[in-house]
Amino acid sequence: MKKLTVALCIFLLLGTVVFAQGSAEGAAKKSNLRVGMVTDAGTIDDKSFNQGTWEGILRASKDYALDVKYLKPAGTTEADYLKEIGNLVDAGYNFIICPGFKFETAIFEAQDKYPKVKFVILDGEPHSADYSVFRIEPNVAAVYWAENESGFLAGFAAALQVKEGDFGFVGGMEIPAVQKFNWGFQQGVKYANEKFGTKIVMKQENNLYQGTFDNVSAGQQIAASMYDRGVDVIFAAAGGVGVGVINEAKNRAAAGKNVWVIGVDVDQYPEGLMPNGKSIILTSAMKYLDRASYDMIEAELNGTFPGGQVLRFTAENDGLGIPATNPNLAKSVTDEVAKVFAQMKSGAIKVAAVGDGLFK
Amino acid sequence: MKHVKIREKQSNAFLVAVSAVVLGLVAGAILMASIGSNPFTGFWFLFRGGLMNIERVGNTMATATTLMLVGLSVAFAFKTGLFNIGASGQMLIGGLCATLVAHYVFLPRPLYLIVLILAALLGGALWGVIPGFLKAKFNVHEVVATIMMNWIAYWSIYYFIPAYLKGPSLETESASIAVTQSLRTPWLTKLFNGSYMNLGFFIAIISVIVIKLILDKTTLGFSLKAVGSNRHCAEYAGIKVNRNVVISMMIAGGLAGLAGLSFYTGYSRNMQIGVMPAQGFDGIAVALLGASSPLGVLFSSLFFGILQSGKGFMNAMTSVPPEIADTIIAVIIYFTATSVLFKRFWDAVLKRQGDKAKKKEESAQAEVKKEGE
Repeated sequence: MKKLTVALCIFLLLGTVVFAQGSAEGAAKKSNLRVGMVTDAGTIDDKSFNQGTWEGILRASKDYALDVKYLKPAGTTEADYLKEIGNLVDAGYNFIICPGFKFETAIFEAQDKYPKVKFVILDGEPHSADYSVFRIEPNVAAVYWAENESGFLAGFAAALQVKEGDFGFVGGMEIPAVQKFNWGFQQGVKYANEKFGTKIVMKQENNLYQGTFDNVSAGQQIAASMYDRGVDVIFAAAGGVGVGVINEAKNRAAAGKNVWVIGVDVDQYPEGLMPNGKSIILTSAMKYLDRASYDMIEAELNGTFPGGQVLRFTAENDGLGIPATNPNLAKSVTDEVAKVFAQMKSGAIKVAAVGDGLFK
Repeated sequence: MKHVKIREKQSNAFLVAVSAVVLGLVAGAILMASIGSNPFTGFWFLFRGGLMNIERVGNTMATATTLMLVGLSVAFAFKTGLFNIGASGQMLIGGLCATLVAHYVFLPRPLYLIVLILAALLGGALWGVIPGFLKAKFNVHEVVATIMMNWIAYWSIYYFIPAYLKGPSLETESASIAVTQSLRTPWLTKLFNGSYMNLGFFIAIISVIVIKLILDKTTLGFSLKAVGSNRHCAEYAGIKVNRNVVISMMIAGGLAGLAGLSFYTGYSRNMQIGVMPAQGFDGIAVALLGASSPLGVLFSSLFFGILQSGKGFMNAMTSVPPEIADTIIAVIIYFTATSVLFKRFWDAVLKRQGDKAKKKEESAQAEVKKEGE
């Protein structure tokens, strides 16, 4: 029993030592804006949606000395999301960013429950669970991207670079954002074929949705069978499934095969790096997620928060595009892409957001 | 001269569970301290997060509901010497049956609830009885069989939801159940200030009582426990072992099906594909901490409920990152799940004390004798 007492004493001492460290946690901050984020399915370092959004928040916190925090819900149900939103609100966070369409119903509830808290939802807008009511309150801003335009640019760039070959598409879940990437991608490739004489083939069998955003091994298998069928470039708009596609491409490239992947959401070039310093990522169809979260925070600080509005990030407002640097694209290709981007901005090129006459 | 009889002391389940929890919390505290956070404030916010206001208490109870039913399922199978690792699959099928009823059956509320509960019970029981039958008939180990049943359920859901229960725009989850068709009721939601508290909690409490009665007061319970403590002996005594194995798995499955009911029609109101409910495994820890007794499960599930619903608030208030918070919870679960070690420890301590007391008694007696001479 004596030993136990000694052990307890030591533990308590340890506790007090740590207490001293702990009190330094809350450093003084200038603004009273405290920014919280609730992550969607997946981790904060998902190289995609969560990470992109969080990077924007971090950038804002650096520039404006803000208190920021992210929480990871236990699951992906509305109840799980609302719980974490409630945790952030109870902890004093008054500006909450939720990346992903899955937050739509949770934000619908939260906008009434916490009228003093500002919310930003990316890739969706608040509506009731049965889709009967769409309503956005003045404390919510919803952000959409024109994924079709981003997909168009990436498809066009890849087609110009490769000139002749077979392109495939792997999607995650069959949801509007992913579908629009797919449709835009096909239009971009077609545009290159028609206007620039490239000879890119696309087949229905090489265009599919895996059904999840986290099944890495399934992504790898799908990529393997596509590459076996002679596909040269795969556009993977599929989160974790896309990681599997990238892994397979790396394996093949390491074995001397000439295969490529087009990344999605963020610049995935670093993900495709191989030991020899080359990357199998040809280019990426980006949505400037960090810009969205940064801009929204900035707007709130300037008193111009677009509450009650549904915003669209498009080529026109520089909300999307391919990465600024593309080591795997020729200079002539990026120049052409810049021209197309300018035409898209001016409205000379229109990219359909529907799949009429396209695969799926 | 009086002879004092010293009874051999045995550790009781409560002592074991409490020491496991305390040590788990200490281990969690050390982990928090090692990443530079103050464990005292950490735990303060953890428990406040679970119990701070009536809404949070409601959420804690709603979280505990599912764990309680799964824990009960696992504990019940334990009693018959079976390890039901398939609660996740039974939850899914029970939840699927309940979701189907919720979308397609419209009846007056009391009658509807009975149909809903029966559907979940039957679905879960079906998923439990198959491994039970395989075990009884072909001696297929239930761990293997129930794990496989988990995956059959998982992929069946994967097919079933998009095909028959699809939401208006999403392929990956079922259409949301109307509140009037769910386990949530306006008066409970109001009482708990808009929390997820639902009728499932009462179903869980009733289940605890029913299972306790079955185990303690019925012949069935006696024979189930006899099979659990010694299969061969039970057989020798004329108890139909195989029949009991099947019945045990059926009831365990039914309980897990009810857990699915509480989760998918009370807590979340829709089903998502591609998600194996983690509660199916957390329930094992709940059962272990509760020493496989119905009342133990009741309390341990409430404890886990507090941990799980308080976690987020701890994250929000401290600098403990969410991933570390998960680790801390896992450490606590780990210690509680290995509560057998604490039982040994306390048994040894008590035995030593008992021996000491005995020795004292003996020497005292010897002295008395000496004096007598």
